[in-house]
Amino acid sequence: MVGSPVLFVAIPLLAAFLIPLMGMIWKEFVRIIPGLVLAYMLVLSVSLIIYIQSHGTIVEVISGWGPPVGINLVFSPFSGALTTLMTFLGLLVWLYSHKFKRNVDYEPAKKYFILLMLMVTGSVGMVLTGDLFNMFVFIEIVSISGYGLTSFFVRRDSAEAAFKFLLMGAFASSFLLIGIMIIYTQLGTLNMAEIAQRMPQMDYHMKVFSLIFILVAIGVEAETFPLNGWAPDVYTQAPGPISAAMSGIVVKAAVYANIRIIYTMYDLQGAYEYLLIIGLITFIVAETAALKQERLKRMLAYSSIGQMGLAMIAFGIGTKEGVYAALFLMFSHAIIKSLLFFSGSYLVYNKTSKYIKHVNGMGKYLPITAFLFTLGAFAIIGLPPFMGFWSKLALLSAAADSNLVILVAVILVVSIVEAVYYLRVVNRIFFFKKRANTKPEKPTINAMIAMLSLAAIVLVIGFYPDLVTGLIERAADDLMDKGRYIGEILSKN
Amino acid sequence: MEKYLDILEIAIYGSAVALILIGLYGALTKKSLIKIVLGLSIMDSGIHLMMIALGYLKGGTAPIFSKGFENSADQMVDPIPQALVLTAIVIGFGVTAVALSLVIRLYRHHDTLRIDEIKNLKW
Repeated sequence: MVGSPVLFVAIPLLAAFLIPLMGMIWKEFVRIIPGLVLAYMLVLSVSLIIYIQSHGTIVEVISGWGPPVGINLVFSPFSGALTTLMTFLGLLVWLYSHKFKRNVDYEPAKKYFILLMLMVTGSVGMVLTGDLFNMFVFIEIVSISGYGLTSFFVRRDSAEAAFKFLLMGAFASSFLLIGIMIIYTQLGTLNMAEIAQRMPQMDYHMKVFSLIFILVAIGVEAETFPLNGWAPDVYTQAPGPISAAMSGIVVKAAVYANIRIIYTMYDLQGAYEYLLIIGLITFIVAETAALKQERLKRMLAYSSIGQMGLAMIAFGIGTKEGVYAALFLMFSHAIIKSLLFFSGSYLVYNKTSKYIKHVNGMGKYLPITAFLFTLGAFAIIGLPPFMGFWSKLALLSAAADSNLVILVAVILVVSIVEAVYYLRVVNRIFFFKKRANTKPEKPTINAMIAMLSLAAIVLVIGFYPDLVTGLIERAADDLMDKGRYIGEILSKN
Repeated sequence: MEKYLDILEIAIYGSAVALILIGLYGALTKKSLIKIVLGLSIMDSGIHLMMIALGYLKGGTAPIFSKGFENSADQMVDPIPQALVLTAIVIGFGVTAVALSLVIRLYRHHDTLRIDEIKNLKW
């Protein structure tokens, strides 16, 4: 074994707190260290993925306390695939923002990179942990760094967005604590595998009660329908790369938590239907709301909520094909939406209001950025031969296999709405005249590399989906096999 | 003594629930940003008190193996809720600090603390 899953939490946490000290020695360390750490994490998670293919899931016991008592980290095909995705996106976010605020000030950049490292730590920790209370702690790490990063720009209305996020996040954390407390009083354990094993003993009403508290709490981070009021504001006001990190890393971690709790921990009838219905409402409401948005990043935010709704629908189908489609959707959405946020931020760079009309005519001045945005838009609508096509196809065929024909129809109709608002922006980029008061801003070379590598993934996987389908299929198998998850963890005792 | 402990237990649970409800009321209905943050903080305290009360054993001792208490594991209060509450208090403190600093930022930006006057973003 090349390394242990503990390093995914320990190293970025250590780096986050070493950054200010190293910055005193040489200011460039502040920008270099996060990149080195994230690159190391990416290499580590890829090599661990290869390792677990032949040796099986790694269950890491922390400080010698066996699983039902102590905290354990689980690197299974499912959590490993998500960890790889998150560290990869984290690396690209770092690359994109490497020169961030370079000419302005040293102090903001320092805080930015510290908080970014904490956000990645929290998200990866949420995915890897096997302990419910530990998950709560990681969710709080993610949220608090998220509040800080949202309020980053002093001149915008960012404090307002951050306060809104904080209000919902604080309620969510209280609810999550109540939910965890109910489980603890009923079962006397916090280990997720042991909770899953002993869940049938729990009183039915307590089960429903605790599940509602936990789902409401995690639903805030996972952008499910009535609880996603923070998302559009946060995505509009936060720095561009942070919007990408939020939709690509944080929300994926929260959806993972949601799914792990419903699929593995609880054995409730009707939980899948809940996912299906709430996902459908999220999808329809978000996509129609995106249609009437006037600001680019707000539109992208609603589209991101809608895509998470799609993933929830796919999880709610409940069959193996559904889970496969959901994981594929999460993967492709993380890549494509990051590409859209990266390139979209440059298209409206010089305006704080970020209206869609500010992209008018940018195709002539920023041809590569505009082309990449268009690529991302086509991919997320689901046009062949891009990556988004295969994930949407997997979802539709999973729904058709389960005889949910109405669902297929609804998804296709709402996808037309999606196509309308994306193609409207593309139309403005290429066929409208540039407004006099907008000034094109050339992307930095790092940002260009980050965007081009995302676009390359979109294209390559569009032509050769087999490159990732094996990985995703193993992850889906891992999630569906609840008994193996419990056995693997509790046998470590 | 027995009766006194019974009353105490009811009082602790009652005040925990009361604190949670007061906090919810304050956070949801008050217009001032400071009062909202206070409400959140009170609600957190209520939850912490509730968690401690749940781990309590009537007439139990501290969960420490010391001289004279070697065989009294069944009389010890549950230490896990205490550990959880310790973590939760630290997290609550962090959230309150971030919230108050955001309130300062909002006050500088809008010159008001009333939440219904701060609506540059669509709520």
